[in-house]
Amino acid sequence: MNARRFRPHLPGRLQHPGPLRYALMYALSVLVLVGLWWGASALVKEWKGGREFLPNPVRAISEMARLASHWFPNFLISAWRLVLAILIAFSLGYPLGLLIGRERRLDELISPMIYIVYPIPQVAFILVLFLIFGIGNPVKVAIVASALFFQILISARGAAKNIEDTHVTSVVSAGASRWQVYWHVILPATLPSILTGLRVSIGLGMAFLYIAETYGTFDPRRGGLGAFIRANSYSAAQAFAGILAMALLGLILYVAIDLIERLVCRWKYPARRSS
Amino acid sequence: MIELDGVVVEYGRGRRVTRAVDGIDLSVGEGESLALIGPSGCGKTTLLFAIAGLYQATEGSIAIDGEPIRGTRREIALILQDAGLLPWKTVWQNANLSLKLHGDYPEKTAEHVLAELGLSESKQRFPTELSEGMKRRVGVARALSTSPSVMLMDEPLASLDTLTKERIQDLFLKLWSRHRFSMILVTHDIEEAAFLGQRIAVLTERPARIKSIVGNPAMGDLEYREQPEFMETVKRLRDAMEEEEVDE
Repeated sequence: MNARRFRPHLPGRLQHPGPLRYALMYALSVLVLVGLWWGASALVKEWKGGREFLPNPVRAISEMARLASHWFPNFLISAWRLVLAILIAFSLGYPLGLLIGRERRLDELISPMIYIVYPIPQVAFILVLFLIFGIGNPVKVAIVASALFFQILISARGAAKNIEDTHVTSVVSAGASRWQVYWHVILPATLPSILTGLRVSIGLGMAFLYIAETYGTFDPRRGGLGAFIRANSYSAAQAFAGILAMALLGLILYVAIDLIERLVCRWKYPARRSS
Repeated sequence: MIELDGVVVEYGRGRRVTRAVDGIDLSVGEGESLALIGPSGCGKTTLLFAIAGLYQATEGSIAIDGEPIRGTRREIALILQDAGLLPWKTVWQNANLSLKLHGDYPEKTAEHVLAELGLSESKQRFPTELSEGMKRRVGVARALSTSPSVMLMDEPLASLDTLTKERIQDLFLKLWSRHRFSMILVTHDIEEAAFLGQRIAVLTERPARIKSIVGNPAMGDLEYREQPEFMETVKRLRDAMEEEEVDE
């Protein structure tokens, strides 16, 4: 056996880097991405006989800076739509998922419905929703929230089912009521899985938001980043300003979830907390 | 006084009913210590959980001071195999949990218990920051915080190294001598049963029945492991358990 291949379990301090290391790792990732992007841009340009279908990072970022007054209001509109959709999906999907995961009869009743509805691509309902509700904000938020709802519901159900029996036995034997079991065990035990599920859902949520904003907007100035990208699709560099703004929105949400996790799942970061 | 009269515990439904405990008659006096020993999976934990009020006896009755057990009770504390600590709660929150669940906040009780167990300095730590021995002590702190009259322990020292195990066994003995709760210890460790049980009930393979009860009146001293009576009790227990295997 090759001893060098053995990787021992890292202590908490090394598993969870501090803020400086965290920022450095992000900066390094951005550098690597920019490098790859540059290479891809050069390759596409060469392949397409000098035409700029994929602008290089400097060009895209300079366009982003130049068009800041155009994309930033759309960024704010997309951001609040996405955050509102996440909050709605989370506040409905999380408790329902926990209940289904823990209450056998509810699981028997509701899970078949989920299995029937969830595999249908929600994109298929977008046109119907537009026809029913029009193209205002509520329908865009509803489209994203409905997509995220199932993701969060299924994550919560799975997490609630996988809770260690000993944790439940421990509080029940100490006299906990059903709701005390939820408060002291089910809720905290499932939080890390739910936050992971939420991270996965952000990508899906942004894809749905893009579709909703692209097809459900007539005014590109107040339509969100999807509408901004569509309105600027005649210029790859300008469209990329919008795409970069979407990436920025996703990054901000990921970092926010990381921070929320550090706040509400403090037990996962004990070494740093106690140092 | 804990009294078990013809206790049968079954679980499952229809054709899949499993009888885990089959007709147990036992009594444990106030301040007495009883160890239940038997092979793994024989039903001793099921029996203990029935006494704790977590399972309902299918037949027979379990009563404490004449009052039938119909659910968990404040005066009954249960210590689980791995201490049953909640990883998301600090030592302080884990130790106070039973009090909190009962709607009480006499924090001095938990403070006092933590000090007694040498955990005052670790109050703000999470279980992942503790050694295995410390985790078990926090489990004991939680159990003691409600000043129970009955202490039930389900293999509380399983998976500990020998020295840590003996240290915690010594701690159990001291606490039992000091607080004088009735103690029922479930274990598959013969020496642990001999060190902590005034009487030791040897259980059969599943479904659990009482094979024999071994008296152990000389226990109660921290030096008991060095004494010939301890070795004698260990031998008697081993014989009783091996006899069971031959019967099977």
